[in-house]
Amino acid sequence: MLEIIKPGVQMCIQDLGRYGYRHLGVTQSGVLDPMAMKIANTLLGNPPDTAVLEITVGLSQLRFHQPTNFAVTGGDLNARLDDCALTPGWRYFAKSGQVLSFASSPSALRAYVSVEGGFNLHPVMGSDSTDLQAGFGGIEGKALSAADQLSYKASSEKQSIGALQPPYQSQIRVLPGPHCKHLNHSTEQLLCSQQWQVSADSNRMGMRLNTSVPVSHQVTINSQAVLPGTVQLPPNGAPIVLLNDCQTTGGYPMIAQVISADLRHLAQLAAGAQVSFSLTTQTQARRETQKQQNHLNQLRIALTHRDRSFS
Amino acid sequence: MNQEQTYLLGEQAVVLDLNCTRLDDAQQNRLFALHRHLQELRVGRDIVVGKTSITLVLKNPAHCSTWQERLLTLWEELSAADFQPTTHTLPVIYGKEAGPDLLPLAAQLGLSPRDIVELHSSPIYQVKFLGFLPGFAYLGTVPQQLQVARLDSPRTQVPAGSVAIAEDLSAIYPSGSPGGWRLLGHSSTRLFDAQALSPCLLQPGDNVKFVPQKEGLC
Repeated sequence: MLEIIKPGVQMCIQDLGRYGYRHLGVTQSGVLDPMAMKIANTLLGNPPDTAVLEITVGLSQLRFHQPTNFAVTGGDLNARLDDCALTPGWRYFAKSGQVLSFASSPSALRAYVSVEGGFNLHPVMGSDSTDLQAGFGGIEGKALSAADQLSYKASSEKQSIGALQPPYQSQIRVLPGPHCKHLNHSTEQLLCSQQWQVSADSNRMGMRLNTSVPVSHQVTINSQAVLPGTVQLPPNGAPIVLLNDCQTTGGYPMIAQVISADLRHLAQLAAGAQVSFSLTTQTQARRETQKQQNHLNQLRIALTHRDRSFS
Repeated sequence: MNQEQTYLLGEQAVVLDLNCTRLDDAQQNRLFALHRHLQELRVGRDIVVGKTSITLVLKNPAHCSTWQERLLTLWEELSAADFQPTTHTLPVIYGKEAGPDLLPLAAQLGLSPRDIVELHSSPIYQVKFLGFLPGFAYLGTVPQQLQVARLDSPRTQVPAGSVAIAEDLSAIYPSGSPGGWRLLGHSSTRLFDAQALSPCLLQPGDNVKFVPQKEGLC
């Protein structure tokens, strides 16, 4: 059992998200940094979609009550196992009673923890993800709080091992959005021609961006489907990059769509961080997704060989 | 004249946009026929109906450009007659605590409270699309005389089951939530249950008939 001693700002159970119910108003949920989740599960030999703990900001503590191999991935929130500093992108072994803690970091926002074999959970509508707004999935539909317990099967010690994670960046690649023509501007003019600052008013639903030169307007569109990664431009001219917990439809003009491979970078941008956008192509976007898949495949192959030579 | 078109949204989604301000009944039902047809084809990870559009998020993004063509072809081939809606009858208790905005609204519009109930419960509504909350169905169309703006200041908590109106739409809050719609009544029918095999009662295109109950105004 993993006991939550201190949840910090936000700690919740997420997997790759809930699909197939969007037409009923059900949001996707799921980890904001899918690559980090897949790396964690690959390090432990778990199926890649095994649910993990998503830790936002840090300032949290967890106690292992059974021995297990676990992985810490995503942003570097200065994790420690008792007094020993941990590196994101690595797997470790915890004895019963050891405490995993996260401090915080000015340059990272979210870390992920997976245990070998995964946590025992009850999927809701095909997913273990916590839908924080609607209040289902995960553990009773809520962010975790002190004294909550997550059960898992004990595992025997494996050699500690890891690899460098693909780096995070603050230049985000986008594809053009459909409604720029209504605003008489291009995606480049509206989004790619300046630096933005992440607003403190950002959360898992969306990242609001501030600028000193907003392009305000009075255009609304008929409500249509939006997706995580859709960039909306509300009338006040401050764009919103929708994230996993966003509503399913929206009436603000959609000026861009973040490519799938770059969504992970958004997970690490805290309030006040600078972010910029550049236009890319469908071909390049697909290539970037393939590159991430290749990285995971290489990691899995390397681990298979190492684990075999250890045993 | 509609100039329907398709375009990609990101790498995985194809949108059929009918490029008009509103749909007539025939176009609306044709859009629901397309939704149902796409569901049966099982090619979508998600298929979301909008007010005048449909978005197909593909399971296999490699098929995006093919689907840009196919959506247009299917739209041409399907007709309103291909869609048969399910009709739900929902009991509603109008007025008093169940509908705190009913009396002020009657005063504002110069109508009797009974007129409001009569006007609101007379149409057969259709689920235009869902959003905002799981199971929150946007129901059209509220009779013209009853079309009013949202409250100036939204309530911090609207109880689950509240039957409400805003502009040309009506809705039932499937769960408690903040909200700015005007509350006319309450329905105890469960609209959304995440644990159920079929979690959502109202599906896009379904019909809804409100039936005033004698416990409230009728």
